[in-house]
This record gives sequence, structure tokens and C-alpha cells, in this order.
Amino acid sequence: MSAPTAARPPAPTTTAPAGTVLRGVLRAQRRSTALWTLALCAVGSMYTAFYPSVGGPKMDVMLEAMPPDLVTALGFDAIATGAGYVQSTVYQLLGAVLVLVCAIGLGGRLVAGAEEDAVLELEVTAPVSRTAVYRERLASLWLVLLVLLLALTTVLALLSALMGMDVPLGRLAGASLGLWLFGGALGTLALAVGAATGRRAVAVGTAAGVAALSYVLAYLGPLVEGAAWMERLSPYHWYIGGDPLTEGVDVGGYGLLVVLAVAAAVLGWVEFRRRDVMV
Amino acid sequence: MPPLGTAPAIRTVGLVKDYGRTRALHGLDLEVRPGEVFGFLGPNGAGKSTTIRLLLDLLRPTAGTVEVLGQDPVVGGPALRARVGYLPGELALPPRTTAGEYLRYLAALRGGRGAGRITALADRFALDLSRDMRALSRGNKQKVGLVQAFMHTPELLVLDEPTSGLDPLLQHEFRRLAREAADDGATVFLSSHVLQEVEQVAGRVAIIRAGVVVDVDDVATLRHRAGQRVVLRFAEPVDAAELDGVPGITDVVVDGATVTCLLRGEPTPLLQVAARHRVLRWQAEDRELEDLFMDFYRTGPVAEAAVLDRRGGTAGAR
Repeated sequence: MSAPTAARPPAPTTTAPAGTVLRGVLRAQRRSTALWTLALCAVGSMYTAFYPSVGGPKMDVMLEAMPPDLVTALGFDAIATGAGYVQSTVYQLLGAVLVLVCAIGLGGRLVAGAEEDAVLELEVTAPVSRTAVYRERLASLWLVLLVLLLALTTVLALLSALMGMDVPLGRLAGASLGLWLFGGALGTLALAVGAATGRRAVAVGTAAGVAALSYVLAYLGPLVEGAAWMERLSPYHWYIGGDPLTEGVDVGGYGLLVVLAVAAAVLGWVEFRRRDVMV
Repeated sequence: MPPLGTAPAIRTVGLVKDYGRTRALHGLDLEVRPGEVFGFLGPNGAGKSTTIRLLLDLLRPTAGTVEVLGQDPVVGGPALRARVGYLPGELALPPRTTAGEYLRYLAALRGGRGAGRITALADRFALDLSRDMRALSRGNKQKVGLVQAFMHTPELLVLDEPTSGLDPLLQHEFRRLAREAADDGATVFLSSHVLQEVEQVAGRVAIIRAGVVVDVDDVATLRHRAGQRVVLRFAEPVDAAELDGVPGITDVVVDGATVTCLLRGEPTPLLQVAARHRVLRWQAEDRELEDLFMDFYRTGPVAEAAVLDRRGGTAGAR
């Protein structure tokens, strides 16, 4: 069994092949990814399953009784159609919140959390560059979110077909793409701030703050006279402002989400390469 | 760059490291030769882990230079770290993973190198690879750390407090492993705050105190310098002045008819002085290296200089 021991100096230097960190992180995340996927699909199906009892004409009656501003603020403008209902409930409310919580939590954990728990030490002292550690941990964030949204899209498509809600598959996919970019961008922000500071609380706090602010701006914008700029600054508006399920993908808004993600990723990477780790 | 094999395994020159406004290292000079087992000793907080983290490129120096196997760790990058095995001082292991799974991951980060030795090394330390690492005791965690440091037979082992948490039997096993690695040509650099831990395995020792290396010597010389504690009991009280200027004598304490002092080198001059009186009792015992170590961090800069002077003297006498 034992190979003959080579004379020293033996070894051609052996460094980590690309993807090693990614595989390791995904492996470590498999349980939590499964749970998040389950939770998101459960929420998606629960809302959708209520559609026959609250949707359609019944919903119109309820909306007429509500103040118009509140309807706008809650984003219930188009709630009476199947597509509008799915957008208002899953994509604007709990589904989006779940994806955000997952993305920001994961983003904070993947670099800053691992560093604070000191488990990053053996990885960054292994023959793998900091750039690779950063890149592959960031990639794992996007992959985990992709799994979540593929599952959600599949479940919603099935339910929509079963219950005759007439949500076009393309629109559904477009909205899921938007949620992936929105969650991914804020998760990337958390990861990047964590990589730059090494502090998970700062990372999660920053990203959660930006997320909350982006909701406030998106909901207040339409209500305040001459405050259209508010919406334009809101990543949440970039994602949902174009009503992806009823109107189709807003390419400009999605583009801005990509820009936000890339900018955050680059800044985090520059600082992570430069700074002291494990202080 | 000097040809491979002649470059020091570790070399730092004037190494300074600041954390914000706190200066952790004040110009640290260190040279570790290839193939030696080198002890790095100092009290907690002296800068041992900071130095080690600079070697592994976890930290970047504020000033001064670091070379590991002839290369700047920043420049050497992953290819350099592939030749180094590292055991952190405060090892943290991810929960919800078995030791075996984690060690295989760390081997994968080395392109698979070391994976073949995991089982054999785990057996040596009686480490159960199938248990969740959250459930491992401190000693067992330390074993995981040792296995991952040694598994890929690195050219340089950097071990921060390697035996902490290990019982005596496993400490012995660790020393065997370190010696085997050294016999195999590897350089072993190990830190400790307990001298006994390194004196059985190290050839040379550096003592670090408050961010500077205050002494480097081989263990045998250190032991010689530690000297003997001599207790003399005379029949009648003696005058302390008589002992002034006796070569090799320091720290004289006279308590009535009893004299206590430190003796380094030959005892003849002291015996000659003592023989002028009636000696009832002569007791001399080797000081533990621990005592010498204590000297270094009890004394201030002036006394340190004196210690360094004595080193010159000892070297001359050899």
C-alpha cells in the first residue's frame, strides 16, 4: 500500500486546481441550501395555492375598499390577474425577503464569518491564492441562489399550470432572473464588505441597510410629489419596478443590478487581497 | 536569489508589524537554517503568532523583510505555501464535517498531495476520522491540525504551539514525528511559551520578548548559560563584600551564614573564597532552562544587554 518515500527535495509544487474551494464550500452548504430551497418553495406554493380563494373578482372587491395609496404602496396594482398575484405576493413580498435574508446571511458568512470563526485560516494558508478563495466563495453564493430560484420557478410554473393561472413561463423566468440578480447583488455586497473588513456584523448590517433603504425608496417614491429620483436609486425598484411578471423584463434595471454586483465584488476583491487576514 | 538549499529556510530582517497604533513587532531579526529544528520561545503576547502569520502571508509587514525558503511570501504565493505545512496557534475547525472529510478537502487544496498519508498519520495519533469535528475534544482537534500540517511532507513546517492540548504520550509522538521530518530534510520551526516543550526536539532556540528577538542560541549553550544555583552554609556569618568580584558569580544573597548565588562557568574561584571559612554545606543544582527563560521576561532592557554581554563572554570561553 505505502508508496516508496521519495527523496527530498521531492515535490513539484502542487497548488489547488480551480474549483476546489467552490466544491468544498458548496459541500459545506448543502444542508442549509436544501433548507432554504424548501422554505422558499413552501412559501411560493402557499401563496399560489390561495389564489383560487382570494384572486380574481374577490380581490377586486377587496382592493376597492382599500385606500388607493395603500394599494400602490403594497404593490397590489395588478393583483387580480394570475401573473400580478404571483408578483405581488411571492416576488415582491415574502419570496423576495427570504431570498434576501438567505443571500445577505450567506454573503456575510462566506468570507467574514469564516474569518471570524477562524476556519478560513487553513484555507488561505493552503496553496490557493486569495483571489481564488474570494472568487470561488463568491461563485458559491450565486450558485446557491441559482438553485433556490430554479426550484422556486419550477414549483410556481407547475402550480400555475395546475390551477390555470395563465402565468407565461417566460415572464416567470424573467422575474426569477430579476430576483436572482437582486438577491445576488445584495449578497455580493455583504460578501464584499465582509471581505474588505473581516467583520460579519458590518457586512450583514451594510447589506441589510441597503436592502431596507431600497424598499423604502421604492415604496415612497411613487407617493411623494417630484420624488422619482428615489425609485431610480433603489435596487429593489431596478428589480421589480418594471413589473417583470406583467410587463416583462426591465433590461436597464437588471443591468444596474449587475453593475452593483460587479462594483461591489471588485472593491471587495481589491481590499481582500491587500489587507491582513485573521488579525 | 541564492541557489536552492543554501537559502535560509526563514529569514526576517528588521521586521516591524503594527496593528493600528499598537506595535507588535519592533524590528525582529531571525534566521533559521535549512534542515534544523528551531524553537521560537516567548511568553504569550510577545509576538510569536504575529511573526508566524507574517511568514504565512496572512499578515503583511509594516516594515522590514520576510523570506520563506528564499522568497517573499507575498511574491511566492500559493506555489510557496505548497512547500509549507502550517499549524495555527488557535486552530478552528468547521463544524458539521468529519475530520476525514475536512482533511481530504485540505489535501485537495494541495492538488491531492498528502491525501495518501491521512490514514497513517491519524492512526499514529489515534484520531477517529469519522467523527463530527464539533464533537472533538481540544486534544483531538490538535491532532487534526498536526495531521494536516505533516501530511504533504512539506519542506518547512511552521508549528504554532504544536503540543498544546496534547497529553504526554501524544507529545512524545509529536516529537518523534517532528524528528522524522527533520531527518527527512525538512526544516521545523516551532513556537512555544514553555521551554521544556522545545528543548527535547529543537537544536537552536530564539527567545522573543516584546516584539524583538533577545537571544538565539543552541539548546546546549543555553543550558550552560543557565548555570547552577549554589547554596553555601558556613559555620559563622560571612561578609558579603568577600564575594564581590568573584568571577562567574551573580545574584548573591547573604542571609546570616547562608549564601545563595548563581554560578556560571568554573566553580574554582568561588571554592577558593569559600575555603577561607568552614563550610558546613555545599549545594549546587542545575537551573532549569525555564529559569533562564524567566530572566528574559523579568528583566528590563539594561539587564537584557548584560545577558547579551555574557553571551559574548561565554562564546569567548568556548
